[in-house]
Amino acid sequence: MAGSIVAVVRGRGVRARNGEIAPAVLARIYDRGLSLLTGQAGADAALRALFTPSDKVGLKINAIAGRELTSSPDVTLPFARLFSRLGIPDRNVVIWDRTNRELKAAGYALNADGAGPRVFGTDTAGEGYDAEPFVHRTIASRISSILTGRVTASVSFAVLKDHGLAGVTAGMKNYFGAIHNPNKYHDDHCDPFVAELFDAPPVKTRHRLTVLDALVVQFHRGPSFHAAWAAPVESLIFGLDAVAVDAVGWRLVERLRREKGLPTLAEDGRPPLYIQSAERLGLGRASESDIRLVEDEV
Amino acid sequence: MDRRGFIRTAAGTGAALAACPGSFVKELYAFQETANLSHVEARYYKKLADREIECQLCPRKCRLGDKERGYCGVRENDGGTYRTLVYGKACARNVDPVEKKPFFHVLPGTAALSIATAGCNVNCKFCQNWEISQVRAEQVTAVDFPPSDVAAAAEAYRCPSIAYTYSEPTVFYEYMFDTAVEARRRNIRSLVVTGGHINPEPLEALTKVVDAIKIDLKAFTPAFYKDYVRGDLAPVLEAIKLVARRKTWLEIVYLVIPTLNDDPEDVRKMARWILKEVGAGVPLHFTRFTPMYLIKNLPPTPVSTLRSLRKIALDEGLQYVYTGNIPGDEGENTWCPSCRTLLIRRNGFAVEANAIKGGACPSCRNPVPGIWA
Repeated sequence: MAGSIVAVVRGRGVRARNGEIAPAVLARIYDRGLSLLTGQAGADAALRALFTPSDKVGLKINAIAGRELTSSPDVTLPFARLFSRLGIPDRNVVIWDRTNRELKAAGYALNADGAGPRVFGTDTAGEGYDAEPFVHRTIASRISSILTGRVTASVSFAVLKDHGLAGVTAGMKNYFGAIHNPNKYHDDHCDPFVAELFDAPPVKTRHRLTVLDALVVQFHRGPSFHAAWAAPVESLIFGLDAVAVDAVGWRLVERLRREKGLPTLAEDGRPPLYIQSAERLGLGRASESDIRLVEDEV
Repeated sequence: MDRRGFIRTAAGTGAALAACPGSFVKELYAFQETANLSHVEARYYKKLADREIECQLCPRKCRLGDKERGYCGVRENDGGTYRTLVYGKACARNVDPVEKKPFFHVLPGTAALSIATAGCNVNCKFCQNWEISQVRAEQVTAVDFPPSDVAAAAEAYRCPSIAYTYSEPTVFYEYMFDTAVEARRRNIRSLVVTGGHINPEPLEALTKVVDAIKIDLKAFTPAFYKDYVRGDLAPVLEAIKLVARRKTWLEIVYLVIPTLNDDPEDVRKMARWILKEVGAGVPLHFTRFTPMYLIKNLPPTPVSTLRSLRKIALDEGLQYVYTGNIPGDEGENTWCPSCRTLLIRRNGFAVEANAIKGGACPSCRNPVPGIWA
């Protein structure tokens, strides 16, 4: 049986030390990564295989850590603009997270109704959280109206990083930013909460693609930025199997830790158990033998 | 399966049924246009290496990296400095009968200026105020209501007390503490309504500035606390003992939820524990559950259950045991444990008659513990 494909594409020089993004290199990363993932020739064809013109696309980013450790607009906006070539109008593409405050702090210009892909947080006037909590397994949360009301196809565009409680934060945990009470789900290494939120219908039925931002990977003392333990990996990681992508991200963090002589996350008392829980729930594959890892460089 | 087992099972499956997308209520719970947050440094936390902190206010001891927020949702690590986001930011302020808290042995028949902020350090599935307790600081409409204004408002509204209530005042500890200091300066009492999930050091400090503390003892089994509260029983019991030891006025409330915490033997054990650790004079309230938040498919507590649990506690030797949320019930009244004289007749939150004179029974002069003037 073919494993879940996860594509890791490195773009040398894609991000300068000052954070500046090289657009041409980034474009090649998208083109190559989406092609490897889908078997299609080029980003347009790849996205056409995954999305339809009637889709309303949401790029859920993770802006909590500020400019140093958030996918910058120079990274996410070029991706969001790809959808117009599929016939999806800009008004149906939104880059979003919890609050406008965090988006602005991460360098985003808010755009609720102007030209280009939309950019706004759940605290935008007219948005909010559904009034009643949805309940799914151990999760009881109100969910962002952006996800439930504006998005039919969700891209978890997440930052890969070490996390002091969860072990690793990546694509699945990114959806903690879609609920009103993520602070209630950090016990027990966020396990099984990350998996069970991802399993919840409002998320699972919309999630279409994971893109992990591994341009700079915080491999220790995350989720906030600490230059001493941030590595310029210069890569984006693409996958349709959210569990597999997170598992690949986890192993990358472990490799970076090992290279710096740091203990494994398990030895550090915070293994990302939720990844296994997600596999047990049938949400995807976590074992290396079940994942077809394809790596390339552009 | 017996009836109790069926009901308990139904409580679990009901949660899953609610996951059906068709059941979503699309009315939005909107943010404030601009979040009204404070950035006051929190008390009771430890700075760690690399801008991490450990909160030492409650037993959770949240360990947080920069920009992360505690379980309570209202305290945030800001570059290695822990800050409360709700200092002076009230999301609820009302003038309530003190009986509503409930305090039955504190200034009966008077009003308490009652305030709350967002946030809570547990997550009870039966929370009556979940719309403010189970949200983060920016998800409520908060008004600026600093401690001096709270105390002044209590005076203006002729409230002899201020109650810190509705959500969980432990999470707005600094705001509560400073308000209590300001209130005491004006001879206004401070009443704390809490779940008791607080560490000994901050609790002991708090007992020096407040006058009465009501602790919700939500069950007498660790399993209930784990499954329905997302907390621990042990620290709550320690908090009760500490408050009693400090001689701060204490009342205990036990919300009785059908099939979940209404086992007569558990209640008997609890009554014995209270008698041994706190004494016979602490008021104990058995209050009626109504379906709420995540437990909507259990029935309201039968009145007969409340009465029978009250009888168990009285039989075990507790002297002031009440029923609550059943207006007009005999169990709302205060009786002299010595001569059985009716001391305070209540109907719901109303005090219809109060015969206590000088803190004692008018018939036999038996002292009645509490704050009466």
